[in-house]
Amino acid sequence: MSFFGFEQNDLEREKQQFISGQVKEDGLAEYTWGEDSYDGLGDALQEGGDDLNDETFGGVGEVGKDFDFTRQVLSDNVPAELRRTTAVQQSNGFPQERSLSPPQKQAPSSYTSSSLQSLWDSKSPFSVLPRGFASTSRVDDHHVRAAASPDLLSHSQSAYPTFSPFADMAAPVTHSPALSQESIFPRASSQMEGRTLQEIEAEMRASAVRSREAPQLRQQQLLQAQARTPPPRLHPHAQSPRFHQLQQHILIQQQQQQKQQQQQLQDLQEQLRAEELERQLRAQQISQLQQQQLLLRRQSPSGPTLAEIQAAQHLAQLQQEQRRRQRSPAADQRYHVPQPLQESAQFLPQNIQMQQRLLAELAQAEFIREYGTPQTQEEQEALRAEAVRKIMEAERMEEKRRRKAAKIAHMSRYNDLMTQSDKDFITRIQVSQLVTQDPYLEDWYCQTWNQIIRAKQGLQPEEQRVLTFDSGVGVGLGIPGQRPSGRKLSAVQRMEAQVERIVNNARQREKEKGLQSLSSLQGALGKTAGRSYKAAPRQLLQVDSPRPAANGDHSEDEYKTDFEVHAAKEAAKLRKGVLGEMHDEHNFVRRDPLTHLEVLAIIEHLYDLVLQLGAIERYDLSEDVEGANERREQRKRLVDSLYEGLRANLPIETSNPHPFISLLGPMKGKVLFPRVAHVLEEDQLLIVLTLLITCLTQLDVVAGAHLLDSMEDTPERRDMERQTNAFQHYVLIVSVLHALQKVTLRELTGILRLLRDQGQIVTIARTKPGLDLLFLLLSRADLLIHTHTYDLGADSTPQLSMEDVEVWQSEFDLMFSALHPHLTELFPSERILRAQSGGSAQIPPEHMDTAAWQFLASVGAMASLPQQQMLVTALREKVLDLVIGVKKGWVADSEERDMKTKNVNTFLHALKLDSSQIAV
Amino acid sequence: MDPAAPGIQEPFDLIRLSLSERVFVKLRGDRELTGVLHAYDGHMNLILSEVEETILIVEGPDSGKANGTVNVAKRKMEMLFVRGDGVILVAPPSRT
Repeated sequence: MSFFGFEQNDLEREKQQFISGQVKEDGLAEYTWGEDSYDGLGDALQEGGDDLNDETFGGVGEVGKDFDFTRQVLSDNVPAELRRTTAVQQSNGFPQERSLSPPQKQAPSSYTSSSLQSLWDSKSPFSVLPRGFASTSRVDDHHVRAAASPDLLSHSQSAYPTFSPFADMAAPVTHSPALSQESIFPRASSQMEGRTLQEIEAEMRASAVRSREAPQLRQQQLLQAQARTPPPRLHPHAQSPRFHQLQQHILIQQQQQQKQQQQQLQDLQEQLRAEELERQLRAQQISQLQQQQLLLRRQSPSGPTLAEIQAAQHLAQLQQEQRRRQRSPAADQRYHVPQPLQESAQFLPQNIQMQQRLLAELAQAEFIREYGTPQTQEEQEALRAEAVRKIMEAERMEEKRRRKAAKIAHMSRYNDLMTQSDKDFITRIQVSQLVTQDPYLEDWYCQTWNQIIRAKQGLQPEEQRVLTFDSGVGVGLGIPGQRPSGRKLSAVQRMEAQVERIVNNARQREKEKGLQSLSSLQGALGKTAGRSYKAAPRQLLQVDSPRPAANGDHSEDEYKTDFEVHAAKEAAKLRKGVLGEMHDEHNFVRRDPLTHLEVLAIIEHLYDLVLQLGAIERYDLSEDVEGANERREQRKRLVDSLYEGLRANLPIETSNPHPFISLLGPMKGKVLFPRVAHVLEEDQLLIVLTLLITCLTQLDVVAGAHLLDSMEDTPERRDMERQTNAFQHYVLIVSVLHALQKVTLRELTGILRLLRDQGQIVTIARTKPGLDLLFLLLSRADLLIHTHTYDLGADSTPQLSMEDVEVWQSEFDLMFSALHPHLTELFPSERILRAQSGGSAQIPPEHMDTAAWQFLASVGAMASLPQQQMLVTALREKVLDLVIGVKKGWVADSEERDMKTKNVNTFLHALKLDSSQIAV
Repeated sequence: MDPAAPGIQEPFDLIRLSLSERVFVKLRGDRELTGVLHAYDGHMNLILSEVEETILIVEGPDSGKANGTVNVAKRKMEMLFVRGDGVILVAPPSRT
């Protein structure tokens, strides 16, 4: 019978009953629909859409109750328990059992009242409907009241129709109407006959309180609900289609909220009106009561009866309540308006302002009272002004505070919009742009500047401000200011963690890419990922890629092997000793000199090596730190390749100029030299130095020195001057002087012989770099000899045998004799003057000759007596010329004069003379 | 590329080699520069020092003659920033 799980046993039972017992009762099986004797066969019919038949035809209970205005009065006559039982029976749907309940005579009316209850149990179709409909029961509530108190009804009848709907609207959603009914009905029914005014009043009050509380309750619930709705989040997959859905969802939510708010506002207004009405009502009541009392008093002048006393008490109560109500909850409820905040902020200030003003006035009054009434009008005025000023100030402060609070509240709307992981995510994106292979190099200027600053301040050039991880990846941190503290420190730590994560991720990705080379093709045709930061100009880290050589990606190894093949070939034949021991001249490859382009490329490569070395040297190599050995080895390798890069071990005849000399040609080659010399091993440096001196004539600054012997200002001359100065500064003073510091006298002798052997010592001596170099050599030798002579105990000086000194002396003699005929030619001014034969001769500036004078002074100091004699004889004219020129005042320029005096004295002091001794 | 000049893979590598060297720069508007190159970038913006600028001013052939006169103006600057959009070529100075 039942396919859909409907209860069938009822039917069966009914049939049984019908067949066996019930039939006998009437003796006739009548098809009386809706009556006790109904056999229920109609229920057995299986038809479509007759689910609600019972309701439609009134089979189960009442259809509705909205229109049944009379029901309550009638139902009150029925005992409560009876009603309940019938309700149960009816809801169970046993029409037959109704016959068991005795007071069936009033069935239709009791039906109506009791069916109300059945509405609230689960089987009723109404329970399925939204609860809002259920609140109609509240209407009944009011109906009860209205009907039960005829006197009230008579008063309020005019107000009633408008009254109840509001109460209806304000009815709570969650407030169970069944409950309220339960609480009201029994009382109402049991005391129906003899209800006093007090009782009615109490009931009314109770309901009023309820109705007042209810909206508040709902508001609270709403508030909670809103608090529970999480703030809209920025989703990580911000551009996914889901995001739009989410947005729409949020929009809808907001709309709903707005609707709710509007509804609330309406509710509030209505409630306010309702309260107003109630208040009026109450006032009427009170007046009525008073009239009654008056009547009563008139009736019984002997004294107030008990009822009278009660009534009076009640009246007092009522009045009190009314007074309380004047500050009605409506005002309070404004505070509960949850959204938007600004709205409440608009409401709020008015009250506060009012209060403040009141307070201020009070304060003023108090003040005046305290100090008595002010004597004069002015004082009063002043006081008032003062008070006003204070009030204004207070108001202004308050205004400010309020604005601030409003601002904070406004801003706090966005609080917690981002979670910590969101923030970390963004930080990672930002930081990932900063992470580099070599943080120190990326941050080079900052780091170097920082070192300089620290050195100036006399601080230890301690920690570098770079965050590094293994394999050198990291971030430069800029200048270390004061030690980071507190928040800053934690920020640094957080960043450290982020960087570490980035690096690890990059490494992981690289590894994965290596593992499955196929997947490296993934996304080759374009990516669908919506992460916008990938479009950033800089590529993400590639941790495991080979260190990019600074000059492109050309692998260094390739370059090296190319070079090493050649170098190995050469190195075997190369046994160039310090003392001019020449290599065998048979077996070498003669080459064309390096082209300018090649030179530049090699220099560039050398710079890279130097930078790499610098990077290594930033680590502590001496300490036995982990990886120190590796670094030392790496450094060794780099130094070696640097030395090879200099090509200093190529045979001298390889080319002219020698590759090494070519490298010193460009300005940056000269600038590079001291940096290379700084890291080279001692013997390597010595070889380089020897090579430099051997090939000195090939140097551009020596070969082109004649350009300087002119007063014309040509670009070439200017360039040469620049180069010469650079050579003097970078190569001679910084490097050679440094190298000569460790050179023994024997080696010095060898170097001098090298110079002389080429037979070009005069040529060299006629150039500024040559003169400077010779001067350096002689000074060093002089120092060595004299420290040996005067300070035998000094162990810093190497053993200086007499033999060495003698060898040196003989070498010096040879040099002197070679130079002697050309002594005046050493002066650039002399050469220039000689070149400017006739015509308007320009007098070359004196500073050009300084190098020559210095050299001659060193010669003079070293020379023996006869040699000194020869020197003086050769230079007598020159010296006299200068001294007379200065003393006679022929030289106008005072600086020039000073320079000339100084130069002459430099020379004469070496001979233990002075220009002042010369009589003009 | 020349094996002796490794690491040259793109045109800018050649300019890189000329860093802190004297270069010759030809500019739009009949201007030429020589100066020491200190820095450059991908836009060919250059920073030069000790610059000598040569400007060719061609006087229009207004008198009906085929060729106008060419005047050369020169000036020197200590340091110069050259905006890259005017650069036609950068070359090492011609060596004699």
